[in-house]
Amino acid sequence: MDFDAIVVGSGITGGLAAKELTEAGLKVLMIERGREIRHQQDYATEMKTPWEMPFRGAGDQELYAREHAVQMLNRHFNEYTQGHFVNDAQNPYGKAEGTDFNWFRSYQLGGRSLTWGRQSYRWSDYDFEANKRDGHGTDWPIRYADLAPWYDKVEEFIGVSGAKEGLKQLPDGRFQPPMALNPVEQHVREVMKANWPDRCLTIGRTANLTQAKGERGACQNRSICARGCSYGAYFSTQSSTLPAAMATGRLTVITDAVVEKLDYDPATRRVTGVRYLDRKTRERKTATARIVFLNAGAFNSVHVLLNSASEAMPNGLANSSGVLGTHIMDHANTLSAIALMPGFEGRTSTGNRPTGVVVARYRNMDAMDGEGHTRGYSFQGGALQSTWTAGKRDPGIGLGLKEKLQKPGMWRMVLVAFADCVPRASNRLTLDSKAVDADGIPQLNIAFAFGKEERAALAQAKADAGEMLTKAGGKVIMGFDQPGAGGTAIHEMGGARMGHDPATSVLNKWSQAHDVPNLFVTDGAQMSSSACQNPSLTYMALTARACDTAASMLREGKI
Amino acid sequence: MEQEQPKGWSRRRFLGGAAILAALVGVPLAAIRLDLFAAEDAPSERQRDLMRTVSQIVIPATNTPGAGDVGAGDFVLLGLAHGLEKARTPLPTDAPQDLVRHARTDGSLDQAAWLEAELDRRTDGDFLKAAPERQAMVLTKLDGEAYAEGVREHPWRTIKALILTGYYTSEPGGSQELQFNLVPGTYAPDVAVTPQTRAYSSDWTAVDFG
Repeated sequence: MDFDAIVVGSGITGGLAAKELTEAGLKVLMIERGREIRHQQDYATEMKTPWEMPFRGAGDQELYAREHAVQMLNRHFNEYTQGHFVNDAQNPYGKAEGTDFNWFRSYQLGGRSLTWGRQSYRWSDYDFEANKRDGHGTDWPIRYADLAPWYDKVEEFIGVSGAKEGLKQLPDGRFQPPMALNPVEQHVREVMKANWPDRCLTIGRTANLTQAKGERGACQNRSICARGCSYGAYFSTQSSTLPAAMATGRLTVITDAVVEKLDYDPATRRVTGVRYLDRKTRERKTATARIVFLNAGAFNSVHVLLNSASEAMPNGLANSSGVLGTHIMDHANTLSAIALMPGFEGRTSTGNRPTGVVVARYRNMDAMDGEGHTRGYSFQGGALQSTWTAGKRDPGIGLGLKEKLQKPGMWRMVLVAFADCVPRASNRLTLDSKAVDADGIPQLNIAFAFGKEERAALAQAKADAGEMLTKAGGKVIMGFDQPGAGGTAIHEMGGARMGHDPATSVLNKWSQAHDVPNLFVTDGAQMSSSACQNPSLTYMALTARACDTAASMLREGKI
Repeated sequence: MEQEQPKGWSRRRFLGGAAILAALVGVPLAAIRLDLFAAEDAPSERQRDLMRTVSQIVIPATNTPGAGDVGAGDFVLLGLAHGLEKARTPLPTDAPQDLVRHARTDGSLDQAAWLEAELDRRTDGDFLKAAPERQAMVLTKLDGEAYAEGVREHPWRTIKALILTGYYTSEPGGSQELQFNLVPGTYAPDVAVTPQTRAYSSDWTAVDFG
């Protein structure tokens, strides 16, 4: 064997898998489909001002319409960050009739760890017990207690700032000091607490350092993270896991290499390695290892498994259950309310805090008080002031306009709902039988639709958000109760779900394929339900746990 | 093969004129890259003059330069050509004739041509030769019409939006008229507003969502 382990993908979980496995003493190959991006050297636009950019940061919209038609819809995509997102024209995917799904992707070393929103929340037993309680999907084979020590380990390594609130539904973690609420957010928090004691607005728990950590500096409050951060102040592969893995001397990294499929030996029921295309030389190559970790991102990991069908496993690798590709999810996401917040005109804030606030879930916990839905929703958002861009919306020219725009504008408070997405068999990934991508690999097709549960949750969220902001003295000017397109939350997950039963799930409680003992899938594909929290921290905790298990099994000769 | 210079668009004239302008008003030159204009989108010299004049009326010089001074007019033309503010969206099928006659080949409105014709019409033939007071009055009226109750889309809104972008993302607009700090270092959540307080053009959340 060339390696002890191959990790496919270098993003949030791939980088962590490489770190954990190399630190466990394994010789690891991490293989990445995109280009190399070096920390502190290749963040080309990090220190650029608007006046140094050809389109002043807004970007060439004509170009985007041609080549980034999906990515341009991502709120983090702009002229500074466009190099950290895929070219949609070169990376097509199919959509089933009636499907509206925006698949936001970053194919480069570090993957979406460079562009992620950094919100880091623990899940609770309300989440791990959700499927069992209402019967949707399949029961998780783990509970919070199984994962708690791994959350501790990951938080301590990546650095998460946040405030402890003692909430059962949003467990506290090993936090660095929290970032501060501004006066409007503090006011809304207090009004909420006074009127609804079970509702808690707290500062976002974010993987931005408020205290320096090793070689990584504290956050400079720029809030331009997706350009790349030479301070290493937010968690990314480049700032955190890659240096740790490289320090072991046991990591090999290959970039510009897209894994097409895994090789499977039916005699041993083991994968033997990966087949990949070297995108620079166009050569097709192989690498072998004792174990394989799939961390290509939820949909791409499923893609690799589906494309690894063989005579022994004709419906895709590790798919004896037939559920591979099914039950994909993304949070139902919409702007529930935006309100003008009078009374704070004499106050402003300076610096750019790289996180908003979160209102923890409060529905369908111990009492089932959801109207037409059985799960939860939470809000993210915050209070912000308008600035010169507000001048685009209002009449006026000349001196009066210039004087008006010189001052910080009106405060407004925004609450964006993230609702739990019910796992459904009809929401699924398949391989296209005809269309191939630029590398000649079958194109992935997505079939996805939200259902009545998500719509009911967002309707209740809109009503709640409007009521809370009005109670806080706000004047609600807009709100929606319909979800954006699938993918809008950029929390796509599922497709290789974890479960007790090999007949109805792809992975066991160790993120290990039921059918293939030396294959682990530890990115979003493994998720059996979605909760309403951002999922990346949970992917990481599951990854660390699976790496520990895999290394132990290897040592004990079990795989 | 030698590339043909777009009609009415001379690199030498542009750079020369802009440099003189920068020297006169004492502001850094916020040059727009000429190579970013496709030949068919290149504006005429008159359109550039007109857009500079209009930009200056929208954001006039005070103790800081005006929008025309800092090259916002050229930025507007570039933005219109490249679809900023959805400027290359095809006109609706029921668009009025005064817009349709200025449609580009892709079906979108050539806002620069429309504005030139519209302002000339409102000033009896030549907006640029009208007295400054009249120019301001005409633009104020146009602005009022564009933002009148019930009006949701209007080509002037697109142009005005790009004037503001061109100004507040220029170095003088972004860092003299407003404040700019790419590396704040700290976050101060609650600061008193004083008569001297100026907004930050580097408040990216406000820029994107305010």
